[in-house]
Amino acid sequence: MSETELVLFLEASVRLGVPLALAAMGETITERSGVINIGLEGSIISGALGGALGALAFGSAGFGVLAGAVAGFVVAAVFAGFCVGLRTDQIITGTAITLGGLGLTGAVYQARFGATGTALSLPTLAPVPIPGLGDIPWIGSALFGQAPTAYFAYALAPVLWYFLFRTAWGLELRAVGEEPHAAQAAGVRVRWVRFWATVFGGALAGVAGAHLALAHAGTFAENMSAGRGFIAIAVVVLGRWNPLFVLLAALLFGAASAFQFLLQALGLDLPYQLFLAFPYLLTLAALAGWVGRSRAPAALALPWPKDR
Amino acid sequence: MMLKRLLAVLALSAAGAACTGQDEAGVSAEQASFRAALLTAGPVSDAGWYAGAYEGLLLLRDSLGAAISHQQTRTPSEFDEAFFSYASAGYDLIFAHGFEYQDAAIRAGERFPNTTFVVSGGGRYSANVVPLIFELEEGSYLAGMVAAGVSRSGIIGTVGGVAIPPVEGTFLAFEAGARAVNPDVRVLEAYTGSWDDVAAAKEATVAQLGRGADVIIHNVDAASFGVFQAVREAVAGGRSAWALGMNRDQNDVAPDVILGSAVIRIPEAFLETAYAWQSGALGGRPIYFGATEDVIDFVLNPALVDRVPAELRAALQTARARIRSGQLQVPRVPFVEGEPGVR
Repeated sequence: MSETELVLFLEASVRLGVPLALAAMGETITERSGVINIGLEGSIISGALGGALGALAFGSAGFGVLAGAVAGFVVAAVFAGFCVGLRTDQIITGTAITLGGLGLTGAVYQARFGATGTALSLPTLAPVPIPGLGDIPWIGSALFGQAPTAYFAYALAPVLWYFLFRTAWGLELRAVGEEPHAAQAAGVRVRWVRFWATVFGGALAGVAGAHLALAHAGTFAENMSAGRGFIAIAVVVLGRWNPLFVLLAALLFGAASAFQFLLQALGLDLPYQLFLAFPYLLTLAALAGWVGRSRAPAALALPWPKDR
Repeated sequence: MMLKRLLAVLALSAAGAACTGQDEAGVSAEQASFRAALLTAGPVSDAGWYAGAYEGLLLLRDSLGAAISHQQTRTPSEFDEAFFSYASAGYDLIFAHGFEYQDAAIRAGERFPNTTFVVSGGGRYSANVVPLIFELEEGSYLAGMVAAGVSRSGIIGTVGGVAIPPVEGTFLAFEAGARAVNPDVRVLEAYTGSWDDVAAAKEATVAQLGRGADVIIHNVDAASFGVFQAVREAVAGGRSAWALGMNRDQNDVAPDVILGSAVIRIPEAFLETAYAWQSGALGGRPIYFGATEDVIDFVLNPALVDRVPAELRAALQTARARIRSGQLQVPRVPFVEGEPGVR
């Protein structure tokens, strides 16, 4: 493998890791509040369509990303309305949100662009190389020759870490996810915190979807989220509910995905299914070896208040 | 409270499910000459394999006055369920558009002897289960000739979804066509494991472009947009690179980078099949559609036709004529029961 190929591989790793990182960091905040949003996939695909429609409407990829965030926010608000408001089962509701999101975005896309579809010509989020940092050998262009959404993800990880572990609001959020009774006794509005943690996660998943459409694919396609919502939920576990580790875990997963395409392009004469399974095998190994020692928020997926 | 929650979730699920299937208006069941249904395992908005089938369904409505319906089904259990609901609702002709439907179609065929099940790319058949075999290898052989003919690096690539026989066959023929023009050509091959994952198809293409490939053909569904985007970005970055379309005339999907498409004229094939059904000639054997029937072809993009050297275009014409007359046997991966293969 030559040096240029290594650089191409690292660039692909970051490109594939960024949408996972955005969605997984949002889900980290959601899960820390005691809500598991299985409907993340619905927010991602809505963010992709919202991003595409927004970019077309405003003629700007930046506004597209904002529109994607709003779309992801709205879908997560529906989820939160059911799970936090009506205390429905989070797993079943999340599954319904995912199926509904995939179906609804398909219906809107076909209504807007014709049933048989086409590749859209969207204003895309072009890579913006950072002067200086982009020239670092090997990793420079991979980390600092990316679309602005990638830099947003890098910056967000320490901010979210600081919020969670060094601020009073972060403490309240974690208390709601661990001991909602104690949090309520201390005057924290449990459902209010859970609602906002959920829609924040949805908005970030929407940005992840917009990144897929505007920075990666350059178009919208039905089902283009392709299971990333579920992978992001695994990435949260892999990153032990810590935004910094979650960012690293997402980039690791991106690298594992990029590796499969590198191996196939190198023309190794092995069954391609082995390469496709690689990211998932890596996740299983990491979960078994490392995350085994960590623990999910105690009140995760439990409705609140318990009885009424 | 429990009941209220349950109702809320049910309402939400129903709203979601309502968006995934729809009936097409136009001809009411009473005045229709017959009723035809289409099952696809992916969205028809892929501008390719499924889009062509949907256009075929619309053609049955517009040309023959059929009452039509379409459903998207994902899992094998949904295949059985959809066959059951269409057959028991009295649909005459059910098109299941994909290799993956073949076993469910045989099961449904035994249960509903008065319904005819047509499986695109299927390998199994019975009295009322009819596979349509699209000999797309003949089109992708010609695509391979173009790829090797315009490639400057002598390296070309294929990006597929899942390695099922109909897809493997197209890539095999693509490679054979390329070798006919340039015996030393290198063909890179990648499968992404998904028909819809645009980002994965794009990265597979980027990796092949990075290895020096400069003409890429695909056999995926909506994920093909990622292949075209990767080639477009390579061209914007100053490289010479081309993409080739597959399954449907995709030349207008990305007219700046798609040099031509290996096409199946699925609507015409569906119409022929419906005529055969009306005359009672359908059943008991597969129907083959190839270049001879003018269902399979390779179509150059009119906007880029001057990028293909005149002698290569002449070679294409000759090869097409030899395929049609049966002088040139294109390699394929056999998958129809009892069918001798050419490998």
